[in-house]
Amino acid sequence: MGTVVTIDLYRAAGVDPDEVLAPLRAALAVLHRADRIFSTYHYESPVSRLRRGEIALGEAPPEVTEVLAACRVARELSGGLFDPWAMPGGVDPTGYVKGWAAHRALDELRGTDLDGVMVNAAGDIAAFGGPYPDQGFRVGVVRPDSPMELACVVDLASAVATSGTYERGEHLVNPRTGAAATAVASATVTGPDLGLADALATALAVGGGEVLARVDALEGYEGFTIGHDGERHATARFPFAHSVAAGA
Amino acid sequence: MKRAPLVLTGTVLGLAGVLTFRSTPATLALGGLSGATGTTTTVAGASPPTTSTTTASSQPTTTVAGATTTIASSAARSATGPVVNYYYGTVSITVSATGTKITSVKIATLNDGGNPRSQYIDQQSLPMLVQQVLAAQGSQIQGVSGATYTSEGFYNSLLVALKSLGLK
Repeated sequence: MGTVVTIDLYRAAGVDPDEVLAPLRAALAVLHRADRIFSTYHYESPVSRLRRGEIALGEAPPEVTEVLAACRVARELSGGLFDPWAMPGGVDPTGYVKGWAAHRALDELRGTDLDGVMVNAAGDIAAFGGPYPDQGFRVGVVRPDSPMELACVVDLASAVATSGTYERGEHLVNPRTGAAATAVASATVTGPDLGLADALATALAVGGGEVLARVDALEGYEGFTIGHDGERHATARFPFAHSVAAGA
Repeated sequence: MKRAPLVLTGTVLGLAGVLTFRSTPATLALGGLSGATGTTTTVAGASPPTTSTTTASSQPTTTVAGATTTIASSAARSATGPVVNYYYGTVSITVSATGTKITSVKIATLNDGGNPRSQYIDQQSLPMLVQQVLAAQGSQIQGVSGATYTSEGFYNSLLVALKSLGLK
């Protein structure tokens, strides 16, 4: 995937390495398996072969069917502004897979006696719990015009994804026009599932206000955009963090 | 109570991952003076693009090394981590601190082969990583969302530098 993933484990009483090593390995195995299956950089990956027409969908691992089905839903929900089938070279679900894989990796760490776990896939983050038993995670969103500063802080309940013009090399293309252009400089989506948040953030960066309205209408998902002119918009319940926990 | 962090190093897909365990939650790179004990575990795993002739299939191996934290002095000091491989080349990071507060994170050396795409990362993403470290320290956040391309090499060099300053 060409993506660096970090996994942070938190427990006030201390983390026992023996207790977490097996689930951590399982989480890493999820990421590696996703990379082996979906990476378009691996010539022989099932998705690469699918793109070249060498195999049919039924011959690929079941995860591919699952992911493409989810991508169809994301395409629908985004009004077509997230569209893996509009990519040159064949279907490319990369914009969904990164978040999907990170969230599945997170799931391997449930059931351990941890206060919180955060899986960060290059700025797309899936988490449960928090740094303390009674506190949730807080995540900063960088300013697109000034990456040394934060635009806001978000209370992270489950997943957050941000997409924007400063994205590494990933050219955001408008599937309707084919133009490499974004309506806003930065787009953030929060919600229960990181795969969908990832896809919607991509669509939100490309489509701006139209997609923000769609995110607003989607139960559990909220959005926040920063325009090229710095203007900000957010859905009514976007989880801006309002208070700083004393002593935390 | 001072606790000794347990450091596990593991190799995942041929790339080094660093696991650091400390005892109570800490924001990124917070110091470890008396009473302030932090437990954070980070695992960095990355899969860079491979050509059609390369397959990544190494088995993870682990070795365990013990390490002790040193009490951070109040004087200004800095340390430079080792030169490590990152996505497009090699990088090393210098961290400066006063007491337990990180005052700056700078790229000490960077060799990116002049790749234009890597220059984008150097100019955009590495500064964002610096920002993450600094922001995490001040804003009581545990992570940063943004289209950052986190560099495993950056973190590896940074972590070693932080450890030698007694901040990790």
